[in-house]
Amino acid sequence: MYLVGAALIVLAVTKEYEPMLLLPIGFGAILVNLPLSVVWEHEGAAGFLKVLYDGGISNELFPILIFIAVGAMIDFGPLFKNPFMIFFGAAAQLGIFATMLIATLPPFNFSLKEAASIGIIGAADGPTAIYVASKFARDMLGPISVAAYSYMALVPLIQPPVIRLLTTHKERCIHMEYHETGVPKWLKIAFPIAVTMIAGFVAPISVPLVGSLMFGNLVRESGVLERLSQTAQNELAYLVTLLLGITIGSSMRADRFLNVQTLMILGMGLVAFVFDTAGGVLFAKLVNLFLPKDRKVNPMIGACGISAFPMSARVVQKMAASEERGNIILMHAIGSNVSGQLGSIVAGGMVLALVPLLVG
Amino acid sequence: MDAFIEGLKHSSTTVQALGVSAIGLAGVFITLASFFVIIWAAVKAGGKAA
Repeated sequence: MYLVGAALIVLAVTKEYEPMLLLPIGFGAILVNLPLSVVWEHEGAAGFLKVLYDGGISNELFPILIFIAVGAMIDFGPLFKNPFMIFFGAAAQLGIFATMLIATLPPFNFSLKEAASIGIIGAADGPTAIYVASKFARDMLGPISVAAYSYMALVPLIQPPVIRLLTTHKERCIHMEYHETGVPKWLKIAFPIAVTMIAGFVAPISVPLVGSLMFGNLVRESGVLERLSQTAQNELAYLVTLLLGITIGSSMRADRFLNVQTLMILGMGLVAFVFDTAGGVLFAKLVNLFLPKDRKVNPMIGACGISAFPMSARVVQKMAASEERGNIILMHAIGSNVSGQLGSIVAGGMVLALVPLLVG
Repeated sequence: MDAFIEGLKHSSTTVQALGVSAIGLAGVFITLASFFVIIWAAVKAGGKAA
């Protein structure tokens, strides 16, 4: 486990792969595997990592606080200007469900709750993955978190080959016009409230996820809580991320982490990201069948429907520019990418609502 | 719907996962479609007001 922890730290420092999470996770993994594991429990008394685990992961507090911070960072403006992009945020959740299905098949044979927790890696959204895993498969929290954050960092390597495989050069060169339209201020304020209420009626169990994200967004968009918004975006985000990382690392004890199951989870996490990308791209190609010639969407936009923001939008814009110089689809890509953030928490909510109906 | 869920309860894990996938993905589309309607209507209303 020392090597695993060291490897995560090396990736964080040298490659800058999600360093804010992978470095604390790596160090936490080393700490918890030291002789006697004093940081976890010693002579019947809880160590500081167990205190953090019980106070922040077991009761889902840390992911919820992160959601408030993330909500305060999200600008739904690009989505409001091009609302159709929201459907790509739905299509690119395919990876969650496809992977969940695969995880139940032989030779994996995971239970439904475990499979759902693995599938949610495809949300490309660390806090959602942690939230669902802490509810359904607490023993898998370590590998699921590592997979979620690692693959988010690897989006620039994972998405381009999948996009190229599923699209032609001509499709990747499609230009998309962007019209600057005004967004009423009241919409920015009403949207987080409406989203929370709809989520509350459709999947009540998703309210902690959606509600905390939208609370953060309401604080941002209200325009009268600038200091609170900045606090959520900075101090709260950094402090909780710091504690979240090292606490997740503490769940990576050798007896639980060093097994074939971890390798399967890491493998299926990659599958989830591939299916996410494919789902978005193929949905965009499907939409194009019904659109007039001059209004077709660049199918690469579909790939941005994953929640890895803003990395996925940047990757797609870079690809568009490399396919044809001067092809700018960034604003559409960002709209799709922001939709992915909505899609991922809604998908997480669906999983949280549906799985207990079947297996209690 | 209740009968469908009841049927899934007694199915294999893979069939259950298939059911969750189908309902879940449809649920994501329907939920986000409702957000789309809200945004679209609000932007249209805002445009007319302006």
